[in-house]
Amino acid sequence: MNCYEHTLIAKGDLSEVDMKKLFDKYSDVINKNSGKVVKTEEWGLRPLSYIIKNHKKGFYFHLKLEGTGKTIEELEKTEIIDKSLLRFLTVKVKKHNLEINYFEKKDL
Amino acid sequence: MAFKKKGKKDGKYSKSKSSSYSGLSLFQKPGVKFFKSCPLSVKDAPVVDYKNIRLLKKYMSETGRILPSRITSVSQKKQRELSNAIKRARILALLQ
Repeated sequence: MNCYEHTLIAKGDLSEVDMKKLFDKYSDVINKNSGKVVKTEEWGLRPLSYIIKNHKKGFYFHLKLEGTGKTIEELEKTEIIDKSLLRFLTVKVKKHNLEINYFEKKDL
Repeated sequence: MAFKKKGKKDGKYSKSKSSSYSGLSLFQKPGVKFFKSCPLSVKDAPVVDYKNIRLLKKYMSETGRILPSRITSVSQKKQRELSNAIKRARILALLQ
């Protein structure tokens, strides 16, 4: 089993119900393909630093997961077809750092 | 930079004694450090990560280019980690 970090950017103009559906859809894909979600982070709606497909804002999801190479293969295969996503990135890490969340919202 | 500038507090004669080249001079005192050490290799230094945008922005110019290590005095190994992290953050549209 390897440790991965996976980030998704969905289109900013989707409703909250669609976001949750999208999020559940991909965590299902991971669980079906012998993977396991360790931690989820919602970075929320953020301005993109450059325009992607005529979009200025994106909704960020961050998943920390364990799985094999096939898990990632299946996950990315379904994401390429999805039209409500702008971008995704998978990074292999040696160990999960579950303490720090750089995008945590601080209450004023 | 690293060398200390002699202020005007030293007195009347400080102006004539210290020129602007004093730190670079051939007659520099032995044992005085001239170069900075790497700020990311120290104990308790922050971890270079593509999610830590606040750290990465320190090592970029205003227009979004990666600064060379000869200016920031980052070690070769850490500079490689930095440039990889910045490029990952660019894919996610976190940085320019």
